[in-house]
Amino acid sequence: MELIKKYPKLFQWLFLLIVFFALCFAIDVPETYKFIRGQAEFIKDPNQSTYVLFGKEVRYYAFDVFWRLPPLLGWLPIWINDSLFFLMNEWMPMEFWNEDTQEFKTRPLLLQISRNLTYFMTFLIELIREILIGGKNTVVAFTSWEWISENPWAELPGLPWTIVAAGAAILGYKLSGKGLALFAGLVMIYISIFGQWKPSMQTLSFILIAAPLSFIFGLGLGIAAFKSKRVEKALYPIILVMQTMPQYAVLVPAMVLFGVGDHAAVIITMVVAIPPMILLTLLGLRAIPPEVIEAGKMSGCNNWQLMFKVLIPTARRDILIGVNQVIMVCFSMAVISAFIAAKGLGYNLLLALNRLDIGLALEAGLCISLIAILLDKMSLAWANKQIDYFGNLTFFQRHKNTYLFGFAVILGIIFAYFGSFYFKEGYNYLFEVPHNKGISTADFWNKGVDWIFDAFFVYIKAFNTWLIVEVLQPMRALYLRMPAVATLVLVVGAGYIIGGIRSALVVCGLTLFIALSPWWDRALVTTYMATFGVIISCIIGFTVGTLCFQNKHSASFMLAVCDIFQTFPSFVYLIPVMMLFGITDTSVLIAVIVYATIPATRYTIEGLRSVPAALHDAATMSGVTKFQRLFKIEFPLAFPHMMLGLNQTIVFALFMVIIGAFIGTEDLGQYILKALSDKKGAGIGLTLGFCVAFIGLIFDNLIRTWVNQRKKHLGIS
Amino acid sequence: MSNENYLDKIKELPEAIKQLLGLVAIMMIIFLSFFVLNNIFGEGDELVAKMKIEEERIAQERKLNKLISSLPSGILVSFDGTDHFRLTDEVYEKVCNATKLIPQRAIMGANFLNYRAHEIYTMNGNKISETFVKWDEEKNKCLAGFVVSGKNVGVDETITVSGEALSFLSTGIDTRVYFIKNF
Repeated sequence: MELIKKYPKLFQWLFLLIVFFALCFAIDVPETYKFIRGQAEFIKDPNQSTYVLFGKEVRYYAFDVFWRLPPLLGWLPIWINDSLFFLMNEWMPMEFWNEDTQEFKTRPLLLQISRNLTYFMTFLIELIREILIGGKNTVVAFTSWEWISENPWAELPGLPWTIVAAGAAILGYKLSGKGLALFAGLVMIYISIFGQWKPSMQTLSFILIAAPLSFIFGLGLGIAAFKSKRVEKALYPIILVMQTMPQYAVLVPAMVLFGVGDHAAVIITMVVAIPPMILLTLLGLRAIPPEVIEAGKMSGCNNWQLMFKVLIPTARRDILIGVNQVIMVCFSMAVISAFIAAKGLGYNLLLALNRLDIGLALEAGLCISLIAILLDKMSLAWANKQIDYFGNLTFFQRHKNTYLFGFAVILGIIFAYFGSFYFKEGYNYLFEVPHNKGISTADFWNKGVDWIFDAFFVYIKAFNTWLIVEVLQPMRALYLRMPAVATLVLVVGAGYIIGGIRSALVVCGLTLFIALSPWWDRALVTTYMATFGVIISCIIGFTVGTLCFQNKHSASFMLAVCDIFQTFPSFVYLIPVMMLFGITDTSVLIAVIVYATIPATRYTIEGLRSVPAALHDAATMSGVTKFQRLFKIEFPLAFPHMMLGLNQTIVFALFMVIIGAFIGTEDLGQYILKALSDKKGAGIGLTLGFCVAFIGLIFDNLIRTWVNQRKKHLGIS
Repeated sequence: MSNENYLDKIKELPEAIKQLLGLVAIMMIIFLSFFVLNNIFGEGDELVAKMKIEEERIAQERKLNKLISSLPSGILVSFDGTDHFRLTDEVYEKVCNATKLIPQRAIMGANFLNYRAHEIYTMNGNKISETFVKWDEEKNKCLAGFVVSGKNVGVDETITVSGEALSFLSTGIDTRVYFIKNF
């Protein structure tokens, strides 16, 4: 009894684990389980059980409930599909004026809204796209096809790449100086001479629409949440789910509402990019000292002035970091939305991966990564830039960059004009380098891949086989062997021990949602893959982070590396692993490990850095060794922060596992991918997305609760 | 009164014990919920038996599929005197058991000798209600047939046409009845 009182948590954990394992051993695998898993799912089989709920018939294989719960939420995807169909085709039919037929036509309201939104978005994207690479659709929108064919001069010519490159360099210089200017210029030159100009500009046009719109909506909702507790409470669960929901899953219902194409991609990107903007706006506004608000009120500001003249400028840095996050999300979506036919680099990357042309994929991936790094650096530089209110500058000094850009535009036009005479074969390289006329290293990389396979095939295959047979398969079997009741006891018990009854109820609800869906087995496979990735990532991340922390320069270097890696769209990680390991589970897991190691390393370094310097001094004064200081002082204090890194690692790993479906895993991601090509896949896609999001949220809830308690305990909250 | 005493006693327990009891209580609630659900949704040995039969059937089907893929593509016959591939008695039975499809050609051929069936078949848009291919243990023959049903001059009629499946068409993936001898 005394021991229980002394180590209460330890006993609770021990008790929980004993019960969990006892249940695992006590509940046998049903004889039919293996057989059913081998069969195609959702086939009509007379042995299936059925139930009808809300008018929907759900078929399923019944097991002992202690082993697997019946899919009582099986009606949800069907219901979502039917609801979407009803909303799009039957709900509130109204008379709308049709410009083409010049008569009123009856259409459901939502369909009309979705069509109008589609037209509006398409127009905006085309406008920006045609400013960058030329075209006639925008002019046609205001005139007609006949008019444009009679007046070909009115067609938008597009900007020569030299002007865009100069513009990027000047912007880089204005924001951060020579270094960024040089980088911006080089990136643009690289894109151009490698023949990736057109797809890059298509991607950029997509981002130039999605990012500002996400910023406006995110900022607006963030302000609304700051002003009203009710709005905040309403937004909070949505933000939480959206942050852990795989971006893939959002594609499917959006496809039903908006169809496929760039416009749908922009809308989906906004849905994904707005939540981080809301969060960072809220964070920035919350962090404003009350004195600033008081000062604003004392100066006689009305509410509008207080918000836009005082609060937002004060929270400028956080808000601009939000812009940075929005841009990053837009880039990652630029690739994913290629699945719904969004044009640009993502589409080229997807096509290249699809036909296993690793060289081309690498070129497209490198371009996306370079533009992402450039925009990341630019937006961060913008966030960190201090406005000089007191500089006594002349008009020319204040506007020198504008003059410089004007000069670059004139020079670019002159170059392009001369180029049209100089390059006789029909391609003006000073205006645009066509895709097939640029330098290409694809062959080199493809030969490299072939060489790797020729030279190391035996070793790679041996490693693959070993990993799959000796590690992954047993681990997978272990996860699938867990009875539903044991899993629920473990998760809810962990919630109770860590965060009390409230936390237990939350994780219970989230786990039950997955257990009652028809994809419990798949969710277990997803969790096993993510767990494997997370374990290895944490080992690597914590070790590398701790080692780098020992030296100030290596820590800064590693953080910079993490920064760069974090800007790569997640899809890009698949390219090198596919080069090395081909299309196997190993590829996905290695991509997961590489991707998820970034937050583990970053949070370890930052956590160790957050230990107050006074404690270091105190420890050194007490005569502790470096090793003792690390294990007795730094690690315990940094551990809560490192656990937040673990939380991020889990989310990153889950995202990558889902993306890994592209190269053939058999987890929830695979079903989301299937739903993308299914006419009635919206319900399934969304429900699967919730399942993945809830796996993330279960860990998020447990870790965050533990971290908060630990911080309180250590007095660092 | 006694309830209050118990409550007081629980309240007086140390925090660590209370937490452990809470954990036990949560587990009990989970077990109970599963127990109730198991009573409602759980299915017993009947399902296992059904599944085993299904498993055997699928295993059998796989074996037969293997056999079919080893047969030459084209017409397979169970009698001598043609240039087509002649099935041995043993293989004939296996092919019969593996065959599920009766294509329209065989149906129309059989209808040729059954005027009423032909009439219902054409009147109702060439619809077939049911087809069957089965091995007749007594006669040691493969029987194939179909059921046509529908309205014939306002009267509902159902006719079963059956006969010996004398030849099959092997597509390399499956086998289909090629000729039904119903005379």
